[in-house]
Amino acid sequence: MMWKEKYKVGVPLIDEQHKELFKRLSEFIQVVQSKIPWEEKLESVRETMLFMKEYVIIHFEAEEAYQEKIKYPGIERHREVHAAFKEEVNSYVTLFEQKGLSEEKAQEFSAKLMTWLIMHVCQMDQKIGEYVENKGGEIQ
Amino acid sequence: MKSQYVNSFYQATQDVFRLMLDINLERGELQVIEDMISSKDANVVLGVTGDLKGMILFGFPKKMTLEMVKIMSGMEMDRIDGFVSSALGEIANIIGGNALTTLAKSHYICDIVPPQIFIGEYKAVSMANEKALHLPLMTSIGEFEINLFLKEKE
Repeated sequence: MMWKEKYKVGVPLIDEQHKELFKRLSEFIQVVQSKIPWEEKLESVRETMLFMKEYVIIHFEAEEAYQEKIKYPGIERHREVHAAFKEEVNSYVTLFEQKGLSEEKAQEFSAKLMTWLIMHVCQMDQKIGEYVENKGGEIQ
Repeated sequence: MKSQYVNSFYQATQDVFRLMLDINLERGELQVIEDMISSKDANVVLGVTGDLKGMILFGFPKKMTLEMVKIMSGMEMDRIDGFVSSALGEIANIIGGNALTTLAKSHYICDIVPPQIFIGEYKAVSMANEKALHLPLMTSIGEFEINLFLKEKE
């Protein structure tokens, strides 16, 4: 289980999406790391990877919309960081589409997703929660 | 080499270990070394360019590397494969990025060259006859090291 209580931001919408993101990422890593031959798991790796890509975008948009709604002062920087990561995700997807999905690159991609997501949730996203708390509690 | 450089990397390592792994570091004795060699099971080299130039070499034992990735992924890892080594490279990259953010506050503007990862390879990093610093770090999951070679731009 990848999800940890310390990842909680304190905003139900964001926390639910983060939980889903970690769950899907965990499934993606499990498929990539499973000990069956690469050719046999290729299709499920592709499916989980495409889902991850879609879900990352859905989540970023929802999180940014929430930041806008609460007039979060760090929104511009947060948007830039999301955009840079989306670009990185897209560069992997383009690479996979053009050159095919290699085991080595899929491992690299899943490791990047994991470390980026943990660091981002532990550092940048926590500041959204702190802002909401300083404003006197949850802003719906 | 200024202690400020070492402290920036030490502080960044401590912060990233606490945030991502819930692990505290204990600092060992800083030593001057003649050669920078990747001698641990898993090694990550970060190149630094800009106002400071040089290399940062992180060296981790295998057991610790596997434990770090287990903490993050929630999954048992039994070997240093592409997933584990990439995750380690990313952690080093995040540490490097955070250290450079701190150094930028002291007006050293630098960039990180993407990490190179060496698994079980003894590889000497060229320092043009200059000395480097070796910082051992102790944690509850093992001991690792950071070697630093940084020079101010002439």
